[in-house]
Amino acid sequence: MNSPAKPILEVNSVSKAFGGVEALRDGSLKLSPGEVLAIVGANGAGKSTLIKIIAGVLTPDRGDISIKGKSIARQDHTVGFIRQMGVEVVYQDLAIVPNMTAPYNLFLGRVPRKFGIFVDEKKMQEKTREVLAELKVETVQSLKRPISEMSGGQQQSIAIGRAIAWGKEIVILDEPTAALGPNETQQVERVINEIRKRNTATILISHNLDQVFRLADRLVVVHQGNTSKEFMRNEVTIDELVKAITTG
Amino acid sequence: MASDVEKKTMLPNMENRTLMARLGLPNWDSPEGRVWVNRLRDNVPFIAITLVILLFWFISGDRFMSVRNWTFIAQQTPVLLLLAFAQLLVVTTGSIDISVGSNLGFSAYMAALGMLWFGELGFIVGIFAAMLIGVLNGAIFSLFKISSFVTTLAMLIIVRAVLVIVSDGRSIYVSDQPMSNSNITSIEAKWLLDLGQFPQILYFTVLVAVLLWIVYEKTVFGQQLKALGGNEKVLRLTGISVNWFKIQVFAAAGFMVGLASFINLARSGAATVQAGEMLELDAIAAVALGGTVLTGGYGSVLKTVVGALTLTIVANGLTIAGVPPSWSRIARGLLLIIAIAISLNRKQIDVVK
Repeated sequence: MNSPAKPILEVNSVSKAFGGVEALRDGSLKLSPGEVLAIVGANGAGKSTLIKIIAGVLTPDRGDISIKGKSIARQDHTVGFIRQMGVEVVYQDLAIVPNMTAPYNLFLGRVPRKFGIFVDEKKMQEKTREVLAELKVETVQSLKRPISEMSGGQQQSIAIGRAIAWGKEIVILDEPTAALGPNETQQVERVINEIRKRNTATILISHNLDQVFRLADRLVVVHQGNTSKEFMRNEVTIDELVKAITTG
Repeated sequence: MASDVEKKTMLPNMENRTLMARLGLPNWDSPEGRVWVNRLRDNVPFIAITLVILLFWFISGDRFMSVRNWTFIAQQTPVLLLLAFAQLLVVTTGSIDISVGSNLGFSAYMAALGMLWFGELGFIVGIFAAMLIGVLNGAIFSLFKISSFVTTLAMLIIVRAVLVIVSDGRSIYVSDQPMSNSNITSIEAKWLLDLGQFPQILYFTVLVAVLLWIVYEKTVFGQQLKALGGNEKVLRLTGISVNWFKIQVFAAAGFMVGLASFINLARSGAATVQAGEMLELDAIAAVALGGTVLTGGYGSVLKTVVGALTLTIVANGLTIAGVPPSWSRIARGLLLIIAIAISLNRKQIDVVK
């Protein structure tokens, strides 16, 4: 996986400033199908800005991204367009609508319709059962109750389920287990390993370096707005990684 | 298995747990307990209306529990209910619209003017006027990011003032025969006055309620209302155009106000400068009595019907029992506070402003 013929995603020297402050100076990376790439860095290093650009939430000031070898034009750099290209993001605490059902959360923004205006409940429930089975998430009591009645791990699994159900190409996970307990974290990590089997590429942002080493194939370090270093997982120790995160 | 954090937060509730256990009930802070408490909370509107009916039946007997009085209640409720429906749409998204009373007065007058100018179908002007106010509310609120409370408060004042200017303080009357008195502006529309009577008024309202229930529960629009109230940020991040949707919501609420103003015109037989004054508060109260949380995300058309009915019954019952109007208002205000207190899930609220 070191030098794949066709990367699924290329980020070419993107930068972004907010009112004179350069949150991201030079962000560059490549991603191959089926690969789990971890982005690590200190708080404020520019990780979130980088993934928001990849997701289409932010438009870069300079540089561009290409997905499947196709450069995304400035006017197309929107969430809607990039989602259509098969890229999905799971944000750490913004992933779900708590008062809605699991099926609604799975179909967020893509609710299947009958006669143009009605919700196709049956289709939503069937698909939800399918996705839950595929991710091996069990013990979901009811698909008709608000998702907030489920455990944190199950909620996050649904959010990730949404990402992989639609993100055929790339799934971006922003601190997916930051708010979860140990058992629930295990459940979510199992789900991440299921994604790998589907040949979908994953970008993982995590502060938990143990987790990064458990899951990632490759690591990119972001330091003061630059993607400063890159390691294969089996070519680096935690100490070297911590040094790269703190000193660039 | 509970984590350490959970264990810590569970400690203060130990006494509660044993008490609940002694009563053979699940601990209210356990998952089963929460479901149980939620179910009870879900049914508050039905329990409330039952208690209210029983209370007034007990106090006033047959004077309250008569066909004549219930016919009266059936005539009294629709205008309030339709306004409460408008409020329900907005409140479900977590916003509020306190301009509905002024909008009702304004659009009823525009409907009457429309009929004066264009004949019977001219009442549609009133519906469009109400929707226009709704669109303005939605646009100001979402595009300028001014809270819906402030936006619609300003609109409450402006729209009432515009009504005074447009009407010059004069009313337009609806009559069932040609009027010869040239000092009075009137339109002849017997069908409209008939619509304001029982049972037509009831059929109309039930029809609207059923249609709204379908929209609210079965359509993508209805689902998105609740989702917007639940987590607006997530909707934005999934690429849904939240601003445009908010304008649609306020326009839909405006449409409901238009229907309410139409029924108000039919029932009162006149478009006046005062029409709808203070009704916005009753509309909010009806929604709250229907168990709809004012912080958004949840709501029910059926329970809003129950809420509007409860409010009407309380007003009616107190009048029959001989309670003076001011005391009746105080009782209804207290009822509102109690209803909201019970329906709120305080655990989900961090800050109250």
